[in-house]
Amino acid sequence: MNAIAHALPTTATHGALSIRGLSKSYALKGKPMQVLKDIELNIQPGEFVSIVGASGCGKSTLLRLIVGLDQAYQGQILLDQQPVHGPGLERGIVFQDHRLFPWMTLQQNIALALKNHTMPATHKDRLVAEHIALVGLSGYEQAYPHQLSGGMAQRAAIARALVNKPKVLLLDEPLGALDALTRVRLQQELQRIWVQERCTVIMVTHDIEEALYLGDRVIVMDAHPGRIREDLRIDLPHPRERDSTVLQAYKQRLLGELVGH
Amino acid sequence: MRLLSLLSWLISPVALLALWALLANAGLFPANLLIPPLEVWHSFTDLLATGELQEHLTGSLSRLALGFVVGALAGLAFGTALALSKTVEAYCAPLFHTLRQIPSIALIPMFVLLFGVDETFKIVIVAKTAFFPVALATCEGVRAIPRSHFEVAAVYRLRWTTLVGLIALPAAVPAIVTGVRVALTRAWVVLVACELLAADSGMGQMIEMGRQMLRIDVVMVGVVITGVIGFTLDFGLRRVERRFTRWQSR
Repeated sequence: MNAIAHALPTTATHGALSIRGLSKSYALKGKPMQVLKDIELNIQPGEFVSIVGASGCGKSTLLRLIVGLDQAYQGQILLDQQPVHGPGLERGIVFQDHRLFPWMTLQQNIALALKNHTMPATHKDRLVAEHIALVGLSGYEQAYPHQLSGGMAQRAAIARALVNKPKVLLLDEPLGALDALTRVRLQQELQRIWVQERCTVIMVTHDIEEALYLGDRVIVMDAHPGRIREDLRIDLPHPRERDSTVLQAYKQRLLGELVGH
Repeated sequence: MRLLSLLSWLISPVALLALWALLANAGLFPANLLIPPLEVWHSFTDLLATGELQEHLTGSLSRLALGFVVGALAGLAFGTALALSKTVEAYCAPLFHTLRQIPSIALIPMFVLLFGVDETFKIVIVAKTAFFPVALATCEGVRAIPRSHFEVAAVYRLRWTTLVGLIALPAAVPAIVTGVRVALTRAWVVLVACELLAADSGMGQMIEMGRQMLRIDVVMVGVVITGVIGFTLDFGLRRVERRFTRWQSR
């Protein structure tokens, strides 16, 4: 793939995400439980932001709020200075489970994401084919999800999320359910795809190595209530080497912080 | 392979037929009570030739069709409402779950008093028999649609028509078809039983008349055909079921 080489200079102009004073509480057995407290976050267009933290730190909740599946919160979420209300096609999401519809072929699943667009059918077909090719699944258009491996299904989910050309792509532990080898391969794929598409990406993960390998920034969150502990900038150009000494040093440091000495 | 499985299907019916012929010829039972298969076959062709059998079949199947369509459609509507509406559930669920425990046969005496012994009674009881399994399966099928399906639909801002047609329906249909299959075969059994008690035509009536006139050959024709029809209905809907669940991993 020489896409990386020529796509590098492109910089995104849309997809600035600004989160101001965001707090969120659930009622748990009648008592309010604060899951997010005073989240302040400014994300540049085209930035890849990884979020790590212990379970219960509200990182997945944060993504659900940004994508608009949950609209009960305090504070503001602005995308390109516009407040976010409910789900929108300019924000795509990939969940840990692929969430493809089992009765649809790969092609139908991806085309479903374009259902709400008014573009001509031939244009839609081309977009679907392009995105299937982008995630390396050409030839599997007519396969049903149960015929795909976990890694392939997750690639398909990524294609579905990208087919709308979202300004922001949200990844909720997208590789969490995959085996170690597939995960490493898909991390490389994600990097390639992101370099090519240059949309803003926010990825929640509990894999520190993954967060460092992919992220321009790594946000470390604390739990009870969920809040940002650290905002780490990883100044290393993409594509990256997995065993770079810089990444290794960060990894040791983050492991120390998160797991304790 | 197909031919082989078809042949294996035939083994047990042929064995039963052979046993029947053997017992009938051995003279263990009076010859006018246990009729040999060949004689029953002759009665069958006679009944076909006079058109009597067709008449009874048409009578039964049209009752089944009418009652079943009414009952299944009502079950579909009620099951969906029960699954989606908290209000319907609060008001109707206990009554529904109580009523569905009552065997249709137990309602025959009451229904006869209310609707008489004519067509209405049979159609009502078929509709009742179809209603409950379809309503239950629909309710459970709709409830079992994962929330995550709706979230994906929300993320892609699908219209509710798309949501129902392309997501909710395909997700719930396999369960509903299973309910319909169970309901249809049950409705058939109950209908024949009702016709045994009170009817002027139909498979059950044919069997009952045969018994009264000691035409056990006619009774046997009726019994076998009732079984074959039940099998065909079940088999046909199993095919439909397979068609709707092809996408499921096995």
